[in-house]
Amino acid sequence: MISNFIPGLIMIITSFLLPTIPQYFRHPAMLLSVGLSALSLFNGYGTFLEWDILGLNLILYQSDSLTLPFAIIFHIAAILVIIFSWHSKNLMEHMATLAYAGSAIGALHAGDFFSLFIWWEATALTSVFIVFAGNTNAAKDAAMRYLIIQVSSGVLLLIGACLMLYQTGNYNLAVLDLKTNFGIFIFIAFGIKAAFPLLNGWLQDSYPESSVTGTVALSAFTTKLAIYALARTFPGTDSLIWIGAIMTAFPVFFAVIENDLRRVLSFSLNNQLGFMVVGIGIGTELSLNGTVAHAFVHIIYKALLFMSMGAVLYRAGTTKASELGGLYKYMPFTTIFCIIGAMSISAFPLFSGFVAKSLIMSSLGGMGMVLIYFILFFASAGVLEHSGIKIPYFAFFAHERKNKVKEAPINMLIAMGIAAFLCIAIGVFPKYLYQILPYTVDYQPYTLDHVISQLQLLVFAIIAFLFLVKFKLYPSEIRSTVLNSDWFYRKMLPGIGKPLFKKIGILTESLYKNLGLSFKQVLSKSYKFSNLSYIKVTTPSFAGTILISILFIMLVIVLV
Amino acid sequence: MKKNDLKRMGKSFTKYILIIGALLILLDFTFHRHEYFSFAEIYGFPAFFGFVSFVFIVMLGKWLRKFLMRKEDYYDQ
Repeated sequence: MISNFIPGLIMIITSFLLPTIPQYFRHPAMLLSVGLSALSLFNGYGTFLEWDILGLNLILYQSDSLTLPFAIIFHIAAILVIIFSWHSKNLMEHMATLAYAGSAIGALHAGDFFSLFIWWEATALTSVFIVFAGNTNAAKDAAMRYLIIQVSSGVLLLIGACLMLYQTGNYNLAVLDLKTNFGIFIFIAFGIKAAFPLLNGWLQDSYPESSVTGTVALSAFTTKLAIYALARTFPGTDSLIWIGAIMTAFPVFFAVIENDLRRVLSFSLNNQLGFMVVGIGIGTELSLNGTVAHAFVHIIYKALLFMSMGAVLYRAGTTKASELGGLYKYMPFTTIFCIIGAMSISAFPLFSGFVAKSLIMSSLGGMGMVLIYFILFFASAGVLEHSGIKIPYFAFFAHERKNKVKEAPINMLIAMGIAAFLCIAIGVFPKYLYQILPYTVDYQPYTLDHVISQLQLLVFAIIAFLFLVKFKLYPSEIRSTVLNSDWFYRKMLPGIGKPLFKKIGILTESLYKNLGLSFKQVLSKSYKFSNLSYIKVTTPSFAGTILISILFIMLVIVLV
Repeated sequence: MKKNDLKRMGKSFTKYILIIGALLILLDFTFHRHEYFSFAEIYGFPAFFGFVSFVFIVMLGKWLRKFLMRKEDYYDQ
């Protein structure tokens, strides 16, 4: 019976039952639900559950070689998050996290665009509560913006799915292209969640505002679900190569000057997604394997880095580089785990990033794409800068610390320890990772050429850092806000929109007044009422004006 | 613990990194490093590329502060 149960659904059900479970048993129950859901990983490939409704045949549970690696890593990520948050008593956040992870796992197993849409929105609606749980005014504002953007992505997906159904009669997940209008809608829907250039603002806006544990959960699922969806529907789409290349290079500069280290990691996340998007764009078996492998290892080391910064936030009260430093004395284990995460993301040989990124780089090299190859090579130096050096350096070293802090709680250390172990284990024994990839490819990452080339790049980039610090050329940490693409809707649009609506409001107000007066005059002339006191002319409020305008526009659209 | 612990660590770290860097360059002379693109096979090319990229990223980032940096409470105003 459990074999036909949609993976992840048991986690959602458990999340709703959490309030009825005593505090001490909540985390074990959460782990148990992830374990039960993970049984589905042994089901093999095929279609297991369909549902005929409203004349549609929804495929609720299917699994294949692309689903499996994502499903495995999503379960691992869920376990890591639960252990990391063991000390926390925030019920709302636990419920949201478990339901969010369950929704993301459910989404992986959807076989058609309508089922995918339902899960797509479910991940949005559950994860927004995680942002909310940041419990500051900034977090609440960010959560609202996050919700609007995530739901918009879902709406675009739904429009795409409906158009596809209308035009082709099909709505199953299939390879699409950008020559069809529904393909474009779906592409943008995925692009929003995958944080394409200029559609990325929500990521750096919301993730750093979440709680100590919330950001770890957020970092794992949404964007990688989008990568999975892109890999399934748009492999070999040329434009993705350039989109991905831009994604790898641009966030690097923002990360250099950002002060909040969790925001630096969010820029870094964006840059990592770029590597995966390039792999999808190339669309060969080797590159798609690279994308999946990269998503797999990325979830672990990014979670590890976010966990280490979460531990710093929990103990030191901030992740602002300008206020940190010297924590290595007080948080030695967290320091070591963070450095392991930093070396993994920087793709040092024997760490997980190396064995995954190599697949994408090799497929680029094999295709002779010299420019993209070197953009990604350049971006690799950038990864080392922001995640490899900046994060551990400013948090744990940089300068001596005056006030003592405690080492992270034991549950956090266990979660970080497991993630750090996986980073090294995958780096040393990559064949186990390669075995679960969608395509069978014989690939050897550890060739002397490759190892020396990568080590030269990284070591001399570190020397460049030491050189810049020595000559005081490295930018100092400054408390500041770095503008990002969310500026367009946080500052520019309100800047234009508010005065515009105000003017429209004033105009319509006077219009209504005049109309009302003439109406009154007409009435009094026609019917010769001597006393018209019961006809009161009211002017609509600002909101009313907008509502009337929207209704008017809708009327025009319907008439046209 | 002494006050200049960090400085001491920094110094020894720098020393070891420089030694590793020198070894990596020397290694390049002992065998022919195969790359996908022939110009990348020049001695020490990845090292040069890494150094220059890093300095470029930091310098350009620093320059971008002029356009992208605002006060911490910028969005609250």
